[in-house]
Order: sequence, then structure tokens, then C-alpha cells
Amino acid sequence: MRTISMHTLARNGVLVAVAAALGGCNLDLQNPNAPTEEQVITNVDGVIALATGLQSRFATSYGNFAYTAGLVTDEFAATSAALISISDAEQGAVAPGTAIADNVFNSIYRTVRTADDLLAGADALSSSFDAGTRSGLKALAYAIKAESLGEALQSYQRIPVETFGVTAPEYVSRAEALPVVRALLDSAATAIATTPPSAFFNNNILTPGVSLPNMIQLFRARYARIAGDQTNALAAANLVARTGPAAFSQLTFPAPTVNPFANVTGGTQGIAVRRQFRLSMQPQDQRFTYFVTPSDTLTGRVGALLDRFNRWGNPQAPYPVYMPDEALLIKAEALASQGNAPAAQAVLDSVRTDCTGGRGIDDPKACLAPLGAQLSNADLLSEIYSQRRYELFGTGLRWEDARRRNAVRGPVAAPAVPVDAQRCWLPYAFGERNANPNATFAALPDPTEPSTFPSGCQVQ
Amino acid sequence: MNHRAGLRDGLLRARRGAGVLLLLLMPALLSAQGTPATGTVRGRVTDAGNGRGLAEAQVTVVGTRIGAVSGANGEYTLVAVPAGARDINVRRIGYSQVTRSTTVVAGGTATVDAALQVSAVNLTEVVVTGSAAPTERRRVGTSIASVDSAVIGRALAVTLDQALQGKVAGAQISQNSGGPGGGGISVRLRGTNSFISGSDPLYIIDGVIIDNGSAQLTDLGGRSNPQNRLADLNPADIDRVEIIRGAAAAALYGSRANNGVVQIFTKRGSLGKPRFTFSSRYSSSELREQQPFNLYPFDANGRPIPRFNYQDDIFARAGGTEQNLTVEGGSEGTRYYLSANALAEDGILRSTSSERRGARLNLQQTLAPRLIANVSANYVNTQNQFQAFGEQNDYGIMGSLFFAPTSVDFRPVNGIYPLPPALGTNPLLAIDRIRNPQIIDRFIGSTKLTWTPVEPLVLDYTVGIDNTGFEQRQFLPRNAVLGTAPNVTGRSQSVFQANRIVNQDGIATYSWSPVGRFEFRTTGGFNYTSQRARTTSAVANGLAPVGELVGAGSVFNAAQTDVELRTLGFFAQQEVAISDRLFLSGAVRYDASSTFAPAERWQAFPKLSASYVVRTGQEGVLNNLRVRSALGWAGSQPGIVNAYSQYIAFTQLPFAGRPGFVNDITFGNPTLRNERAREWEVGAEAGVLNGRVSLDATYYDRLVSDLLFFRPLATSTGFSRQFSPIGSMSNKGLELLVRTTNIDRPRFKWSSTATYSTNRNNVESLDILDFQSAGGYPNRIRVGEPAGVFYGSYAARNCATGALLLDSLGRYRRSNQTVDMGTTIEQRRALGGGTCNDSANAVIGDPNPSWMGSLLNEVTLGKRLRFRMLLDGVFGNDVMNLSTRAQNAGVASNSREYERELLPYGDPRKLPPGFNARTQGVFEYWVEDGSFVKLRELSATYTLDVPAVRRLFKDGLDVTVSGRNIAVWTKYSGYDPEINLFGTNAGGLNSLQTTAADRGFDFGGYPIPRVWSVSARFSY
Repeated sequence: MRTISMHTLARNGVLVAVAAALGGCNLDLQNPNAPTEEQVITNVDGVIALATGLQSRFATSYGNFAYTAGLVTDEFAATSAALISISDAEQGAVAPGTAIADNVFNSIYRTVRTADDLLAGADALSSSFDAGTRSGLKALAYAIKAESLGEALQSYQRIPVETFGVTAPEYVSRAEALPVVRALLDSAATAIATTPPSAFFNNNILTPGVSLPNMIQLFRARYARIAGDQTNALAAANLVARTGPAAFSQLTFPAPTVNPFANVTGGTQGIAVRRQFRLSMQPQDQRFTYFVTPSDTLTGRVGALLDRFNRWGNPQAPYPVYMPDEALLIKAEALASQGNAPAAQAVLDSVRTDCTGGRGIDDPKACLAPLGAQLSNADLLSEIYSQRRYELFGTGLRWEDARRRNAVRGPVAAPAVPVDAQRCWLPYAFGERNANPNATFAALPDPTEPSTFPSGCQVQ
Repeated sequence: MNHRAGLRDGLLRARRGAGVLLLLLMPALLSAQGTPATGTVRGRVTDAGNGRGLAEAQVTVVGTRIGAVSGANGEYTLVAVPAGARDINVRRIGYSQVTRSTTVVAGGTATVDAALQVSAVNLTEVVVTGSAAPTERRRVGTSIASVDSAVIGRALAVTLDQALQGKVAGAQISQNSGGPGGGGISVRLRGTNSFISGSDPLYIIDGVIIDNGSAQLTDLGGRSNPQNRLADLNPADIDRVEIIRGAAAAALYGSRANNGVVQIFTKRGSLGKPRFTFSSRYSSSELREQQPFNLYPFDANGRPIPRFNYQDDIFARAGGTEQNLTVEGGSEGTRYYLSANALAEDGILRSTSSERRGARLNLQQTLAPRLIANVSANYVNTQNQFQAFGEQNDYGIMGSLFFAPTSVDFRPVNGIYPLPPALGTNPLLAIDRIRNPQIIDRFIGSTKLTWTPVEPLVLDYTVGIDNTGFEQRQFLPRNAVLGTAPNVTGRSQSVFQANRIVNQDGIATYSWSPVGRFEFRTTGGFNYTSQRARTTSAVANGLAPVGELVGAGSVFNAAQTDVELRTLGFFAQQEVAISDRLFLSGAVRYDASSTFAPAERWQAFPKLSASYVVRTGQEGVLNNLRVRSALGWAGSQPGIVNAYSQYIAFTQLPFAGRPGFVNDITFGNPTLRNERAREWEVGAEAGVLNGRVSLDATYYDRLVSDLLFFRPLATSTGFSRQFSPIGSMSNKGLELLVRTTNIDRPRFKWSSTATYSTNRNNVESLDILDFQSAGGYPNRIRVGEPAGVFYGSYAARNCATGALLLDSLGRYRRSNQTVDMGTTIEQRRALGGGTCNDSANAVIGDPNPSWMGSLLNEVTLGKRLRFRMLLDGVFGNDVMNLSTRAQNAGVASNSREYERELLPYGDPRKLPPGFNARTQGVFEYWVEDGSFVKLRELSATYTLDVPAVRRLFKDGLDVTVSGRNIAVWTKYSGYDPEINLFGTNAGGLNSLQTTAADRGFDFGGYPIPRVWSVSARFSY
């Protein structure tokens, strides 16, 4: 009798324990550390957060582009012995597979991905957003996607443009990519022209300090100029506001976020500005004070003479989306190309004579005298190129300027000082080589770099 | 009758109410029962060869739960043995078991002495691991290594894994770092079997699956391995360890068993009066050998400069103490084992130390004649003080030693410690000011209920918990690191991780009535494991001048993660014994892990095995022979770091003060499934020459498919990689264990144990390109090569003669540099006169050993003196000496080889200028033969048992002088060929990638010390 009771007791005990054991063993666990795609893109606040993430990724990819373009042109050089691939790059050698070659590509396409996620989310939840918020979100996504693809086509000979929802994107030539970029910017402009962004978008989604309409028009002008479409370049440049808060769009970096240049200009691990940037200026030109702290002693890893790059050395320093005078220089170039030399020279003079207190914007101030006598068209274009060097320093645009003027000179061995630019393109990213059948070495050979000057770059 | 009625009432109430609670009251209720007539059995267990008493033999009364363990002189006492004819069984590891019959008279004492024959092949030994229920070894078709407490105890090691070094064939047990508290140790059974799941076997202690993580919660050296959590166990508590090495044996452990299983059993206590054992140990550790540094008193321009050897300041002789107290005993129905342990030792790297304090209670209680409870509770507090080493070159001491020029005077001036010019910190500053304390509070406990409702049916239910609270702090004072990073302003960090593993196991075993010559046994059960790791971290920079805690900071950062992993499995096994000679067994485990996608989650892991006893217990040359073979499947799952890899996730990326989301660049894999290993093994055990020689040999062949790793994705899609199956890998090898009794006389005994194992690893297929397994290092996963081969630049050679091609200055030409080799393939071929230099990189070494072996010799002189020597060797493995490479780098220029570059021209030792700068880029140059033989253990024990001593200590006093890692015979030029930059499962949250294949990198490792110790042990 006792034994039976014992059995029952023990059986109950075991059954209770087993039930407790198996009751708790749901194997479908949620990840509390990160939301799933589903949770983000089907949720209004999630889509709004994508817009913030997009702007953050844009700051990174734009920084990578500008930094690398500065290294392979005559802007930057490595300060530290530790950074071999950086000082190789400053001499024109960018080895395939190095971070310096891949970061530009990878970060640009991460930005593009987030822009596409945002476009998809804004459409999927279109009924949840008011029209103005939706148009703002879409315009922001179009503009940043366009600019990112534009940076890609200024760094790589061929680029993919259709990357959302495909596993093996196809590479297209600049001739095919550039219209895509411009169409995206037109979509952005149309979106906000049709439905102006809501106050909610402007105050809570767009990064404070950024003027979306100005940014879109400036980008439209920039890529119209790259496409050689001077009419539209002029028209768009004229739409870029020149005064007031809209005139200066900048990304802000409250702690703990850090502007993209602060990471690479400090201490033992970075780059500085080649001293010739300052020394090549006309003696009266004050623009170097905007960018560098002059030095007589700072030298780079392979003997380059350097000035400390202090503009964005403070991690929290805001970082302009574009330099305001780019619009004027595009305008001057368009006018000159259209044969309107006097108007072009007037615009150019307004850049040259910009001086402290001028337009009330914190941009480089040349404080130079006007040009005086009317220059020839060729001299004007040359002067515009020169002004672009000093006005648009650190934006990465110098690389395309060198390319379009056939000024790429090929690798430079230290201690020779580079002039203009040292190479045409970056090698294609290894992340692509490994996984994209359209980007194998056979399907997509790295372009041949010039070894003699002048030889020009192959723009496809 | 009254008490029975009361009991029944109680039980009925319990059925209605909380039945489980009543279990706790059971002992009290049962004590009221009447006691049947009993007697006592006593006797002595001796070694049949030499007549000496054998300690720690298990003596049991067959058919009861009564048992005892023999004392130091072999004597035992069994009390409360039911009167009548009884069989007394005596067994001890290393000897054949013996059963003797006796008649116990109520109130009387029977004497049963037993002389045991030495037998390394003990086919009747009972093993548990891999067979679901206790089974005699001869019935199991796979090889099982077992190591008993005597072997572990005599190793005088700080941790269990140290104690196992050189004891197990097929196990590569490497000490990756030499820090205090055991250092970081990795155990790899039968080669590399996974990339992402580490090489660690599954550890189970008294039925509890335990964590052996080596994750660093702050950066103590990148992916280095300062300590793994097996260090929390007290080796003195361990009764025996069973090791199964592969899938064929481990199928019943399902998706976690690909790397094998190590099952640890702690001491249960013996019957009889309380027996106290106390042991005390004092140790002294020292750096075995200094490295040569550049002490040339002139600089590159020939100007005199002072030179310093900082090894004198960084390393020091370090002391340690360990005290162990155990009490065991028991009466009918209750057995107990209690222990307390305190260990404190300093590391040879000054300012490092480790302390461990712990206590254990093991209790076995018969709750009812057919219901037994086993309860284990173990609490440990470990407190470490570490310093960063390995890859940590900002504030790591070893990195600073290797990267700082010897011309820098690091001595503080007015309290200011000068920093080195380019890399690292001032090692004296690190020793004096930088602090990395760890505090680990750990509880491991289990309850096991064994119920035998009817004789053939045994039900086991175990619930176990391993709960670790781990706090890692880090304090970097202001101005302790170079550069402008926030750490210059000081950093204080506190990371707290609560890691809890709960497992529940139920096993039912039914032994059928024999049918003719056939016996059948059926086993079924389930296992459920849940592991959860919750981590919070607080980091502060901008520290106040006084104060080491996070509160001293002015810029703060916090983080939190919460990860959970659950595994549920069911299994069934059928065993058939034919004529007690042929044993067949088939089993299957059906298993699911929360890590994997629901559609792929449930996986079956079958197993088949056969064992045939050809000869047993026969006289003559061949006494015992058994052959066995098994085929089985097992899996492995990614660790807790990748627990959520099936989900497509977004990550937080705040910007301009607002929360932001972006896609995680690791794309989730909604069809993720486990890695799967197929293994077959065949082996034999033989006893020869009346137990004087025994042999255990196993050949195995394993193929792991669906290896998980990060498959690269086209980065133009915005993703970089996806965790998915990428290929397969095989391991084939041979394991051999030979035990011999060379001389066995009453006053002189000499016995030896030798192990030999080989393993050939081969990456069979990859459906992605070759890849570097540890980011940043020249190792490779490459089809047709062993996993982790060194792959990198080599020195160009003449293709006909093999002679090195030097440049005009006599420097090497780097295979991957166009400066050295020319830009075209034609130029490369012209240079070498052939195609041998065509590729930029090549396979330049293999960190996997071609064979490993060990030799243990034990000599007993007279009755009191025992000597022991263990040689442990690894052969044919390459080590990449990145420590010396760091010394040769321009910023450091502190090696003896760099010194040769400074010598005046004309000196025969003079190296051309730039020679060392060139070798930086020739990775082949840094590959060295890492073969070694270590004098791993050396000890002498003397038993003081003169009457004066015996009056105090019943069994006498054992005094032991011992040494560990006393000498190393190797061609390797660095501190130690055994150390490794990476740990087994380092590469925790947020750290860089490492895999189980990443071996053979010496880069700023913590040298393994030579340890001498003196210990005394007595019982009463």
C-alpha cells in the first residue's frame, strides 16, 4: 500500500516537473536586442527612424567619399607611420581589397539601401503619413540616394544603380547611371514642389541645419554640370538660395556622434592637408584659414609637407552638405560655356571678393580683388577650376574636376608632390568580387590607370 | 501500523496538494521506519601485484545502495549491511573488478579482503556518457576516455583542464595564455570541427550543462583568452571525468555535441564516520626564460644610447597558496561530501593575480527504498586582477613590451610616467595604475531523482542550474595611452553579465527479461536546456583625477544586451546483448534549437554501434580483447553570440540626437540550420601479459557538412554577409593509449602510460571563396588544406635551386610587392627563372600538429615514496611568431635581430639596412616549427606514517614536491610555442571574428610560467 502511494507521489512529482520543463520551452524567441525588418518597415515611427538612419549613413558615406577623393588628389596625405594603405593611396596606389578601396563603395550602397527602405516604407504606409510628411520623406530619400550614386560614379568607372530586391546587381556605365541620378533628383524636386514638406517633417525628421529644397537644387545643378547639361545646371544653380538660413545646409553631430573627418584627422591615426594647398594660393587669399592651421614642421609618413586639418577636427563640428559657393561656380561655368563671359566673370568675382561679413554665412572667404579686365572663355574656365580647388576643398569634387580636365597624372613616388590627381578610379570592392557574379574579375576588370601624363581617364 | 497509516494520509494529502513539496519532508518521515537486522563488513583492498593497500576503491554491496571508499591503506568499512548472504563488489579505475561472497550476521562483522589485478582495459567499468544510462564499458561501441580523481589530484593543477593535459589521446589541450588562475585553456577533441561554434566540447558536471566561456567583457587583449570559466571548478572535488570525442559517441547530445562531450562527476562521499581530508599547497611561479632584446648601446647613427631590458620589471617570481578541506561520510540512506577551497596566486606578470574561494555540498539521500535523490550545490567566488595582453596595443603590457624601443626610459619622473613614442603604453604605468578586476560569483547546482518503480524500470530526472554573475571592470588612468582618443582622458568601465543555464533531463530505462541468449534494454528521454546571458555595461571617459569607478567620469556611455538560446531534444535507444559477448545498440535523438529557423529546426541524429568481446579474463598472453565500431551523427549550433542569426534585423543608428534605424549589414538567414557531423570509428581494447600491458586504439573518420560561416553578400545590396552553410570539412585520425606495468615488486613499482594521436584535417569543399578565418591574420580556410593554414607572402626564390632571391642590398624580395617583384608576370618569371613565384601569396605553414603524444611514468619506491613524470609533446605544427615580428617593426626595433642592423659594417653579424623592414612583409619569415616536448608534471610524494605522525593523522601525511611546465624542448624562438593569440570561443559580443581554426599565433601572449609547489595532505 505504501509502495503504491510512493509511486503515485513520485509520478506526480516527476509529471509536475516535466510539465514545468516543457511548458517553458517555446523555441520561437524574439530578439530583444534589435528589431526585425518587419517591425521597422510596418511601423510609422520605424519608418521615421529610417529617415534618421539614412542621414547618419549619408554623413558616413559622404565622408568616406570626400576623404578618399582627397587622398588620391592633391588635397590630403597620411600623418602616421601606421597607415600604410593610406599613404599608398596618397601616392596613387590603392590596392584592391583594402579598406580604403572598399569603404567608399560599401558605405555608399548602405546609404542607398536605407534610402530604398525609406522609399518602400513611405509608400507602404502612405495612408498613415500626412501628405507633406510623406513628400518630405520621399524627397529626402530620392535626394540622398541620388547624391550617393553620384558619389559612386565619381569614384568607380562602372556602378550598379538597381540594387534593391536583387542579389546580383548589374553594373552600368556612367552614361547609363547619370540619367538615373538626375531623374531621382527631379523626382525629389517634383515631390516637394507638388506637396511642400510638412512642418512635422521639417522640425522632427530633417536634420536641423539642412535645407532640403536647397540641397536638391544644388545636387541637380551638380549632376547637370557633370552631364554637360549647362542649361539645367544654370537653372538649378539659380534656384539655390544664397542668403538666409537656407543658404547653408550642414549636418550636425551632437555627442556621441562624430563628424566623419574628426575620426581621421586626429592624433596618430590620420591625414592632414598638404601644405601646397595653402602655399599655392594667391598671397592675399584667406581661404586657407577656413580649413587649416598653418604649420612649418608637420610632415607626413612619406615626407609630405602638411598643415593640420582643423576645420572638422572637433568631433562635434557641423559638416556642410555642400559648400555654398559651389552654386555660384556652377553658374559661372554654365554662363561661360554658353558664351556669356561677362556674366560668368561677374559671378566669379562675387566668389573672389567674398570676405568676412560678406553674406553672413560661415564659408571660406577669399577676400581677393575682382578679376578686373574681362578674361577669355578659356581663361575663365581655368580660373573657375582654380576657384573650385580652394572653395570646394575637402568635398571630393576635386577628383572629378581633375578627371574632366584630363589632369590625372598617375602614381607619384614620394617625396614628389602630387599635382591634381594620381589616379582615375578606385578598384572595385572585394565585397562585390566575392559575391556578385556581375563583379568577378572576369566580368568587371579593374580599369587601367594612367601611367603617363597626359593620358586622360576612360569614362564609360 | 500507526505510522504507516499516517504516512498514507500524508501521501493522499500530497496527491491532492503540492506533491513535490512533500519530497522535502520525506527523510523525516522515513526515519520513523523500523530498522531490519544488519551487520558490518570490513576488509582491505590491495594491489595483487605488490600487496600494497589501494586507496579510493569503490566497495559496494551488490543489489543495495550500500557502499564505501577505501582509505589510504586500502581499508574500508561497510555498515548496516542487511544480514544474509551478500556479494561484495570492489572496483577501482585501472584495475579489474572483483566480487566476493560473504555472509553477514546481524550485529556481526564479516571480513572481505580483495586483491585487484592491474588492468588498464577495464571492460566492466561503468560509464555514463553517451549511453543515456550507466552501462558497462564493454557494452559501448565507442571509445570513452576516463580520468579518475587520483590522476587529477596528482597533477596538482589549478584547473581541471590543466590537469587533463597529456592524459587523453585525441585531445589537444593547449594553454593559450599563462596568467594566474589557470590561464586560458582550449580543449579540442579530434581536430577542428566547426568554425563559428568554437572547438569547445560540451561540458556537463553532475548532469548540469555548464558554461566554459572565455568571453572578455572589456578589451583585455582583443580576442585573447585570459581565463575560461572551467577555472571556477575545484579539481579536488572531481571524482572522475568521462570524455567522448566525437559524433559517433555523442549523438545522444544532438545539436551541441559535434565537438565531443566532457562529463565531470564530483565526489559523492563514502559510507562511514566523517572522514576529513585537508591539503595545503604553496607554489612559486617564474618566467621560464627571457626573450632576447636589442641591448646594443648605439643607435642607428652610431651614437651611444642607454638600453633597458623591461622584462626585469614586468615579470617577477610569484607565489600562490591553496587550501582544501573535505569532509565525507554517510550512514544508511545518506551520503555526503562537503568541501571548501581557497586558492590565491599571483601571476608572473606583475600586478596580475587570481583568487578562488568555493564550497560544495554533495548529498545523496534515499528518500524511499526505490527513490534516491542526489543533490549538488557548488558556490564559487573568483576574483581576478588581469592586465591586457595579445592584440591590445594601446594599454596591453605585452604589446607595449614588444612595440616599445629599448631606448625609452620608462621610469617615472616626478610621478609622471613617460609614454613610448609610437605604440602602446608605459608598462610600468600599466603595472602600477591600470586595473582590470573581475569578480565572478557562480552557483552550480543540481538535483537528480532516481526512481525505480519496478525493478527493470529506472526513471531519472535531473534539473541543473549554472548561474554566473560576472563583473569586469577596467580602469585606465588619465594620460595612460597615446593619441587623442577619448581614452587619453581616462576610462572606467563596468560590465556586468548574468549568465544562466538551466537544463532538465528525464531518462527512462527499461531492462527486459532475457530471451534465451538475448538481453534487451530500452532507453528514452528528453533534455531541455535554456541559456540566457544578460549584459549591461557602463563606460565613462573624462575621469576625475581621483577615483577609479565609473562615477569618476564625465562622459558616459551605456549598453545592454539580452540573449537567450533554448534547445529541446528527445531520444530513444535500444540495446541488445547477445550471449553477453556481442552488444548492439541503436539510438536516435530528435533535437531543436531556438537559433534555427522553424522549418529547419527539428533534426534527427541517429547512432549505431557494435561491440564484441573476443576474450575476457583469460590467462596467457592475450587476456582481454574487445573490438568495437560505431557510426553516428551529431550537430553543432552557433554560440550565444549568434543566437538570433535567423532574423533579418535592423540596428539603431542615432543621428543628430534622434533615434535612427538602418538595416543590419549581416543579413538574417530565415532558413538557418545546424552543422552536421557524420563520424564512424573502429577500435579495440586489449589486455596483454596478465594486465601488465594494455592497449586502447581507435581510428575515426568524421565529415562535418553544412559548416556555418559568414557568406559574403554583394555589398551593393547594402548587406555584407549572411550566416549560412558554406562547406564541409573532414577529420581522420588514430588514437592510441598504452599502459604498462614495467616492474611490479612489493618494494618497487614502475608503470607507464603513453598516448599517441594523429589527426588530419581537410577542408573538403567551400561554396564561397577562400577566406581569412581570423580577421587581420594570415590564416586561411581553403579547399584541400587543413583549416587555418597560414597563407600569405613568401620570400621569392630561384625556381631551379630554391635559393632565396635577394635584392642588391641582400634583402628578401616580398612575393606580394611589385616593388620587389615587378609589375608583370613576365618580370616575376624572369626573376625566379620559372613559375614558382607566380602567386602573390602561398600556403606557408600549418598550425595543426601532425601528431601529439605523452608519456607518464610513475615509480613507487618502498611504501612511502612515489615519483611521477609526465612528458607531453606536440609535433609538426607551425607557429607564426608575430611577437618577434612586432619587435622587428620600425617603431619597436627592439629585437636581437634588429640589433644586427645597427652593427658597424664589416661585422659578420651585420644585416643590411632595411632588412628587417622587408621581413615585416614576408610572412613566411615568421613561421617557425612549433613542435615541443614539455616536462609537464614532475613530482615526488613521501608518505610520513611514522607512529608519531599517525597519532595525529590516521593515514599519515603525504608531502609532495611538484613542478609544472618545468622544461620545454623546442626549436621555437619565442616565449612558448603553446600559447595562442586566440582562445576557443573568444570573439564575444562586439569583438572581431575568430574561428576554432585560428591556432598558432604568438602575438604578445602571456608566457606560461614554470611552477614549483610544495604540498601536504592528510586525512583523519
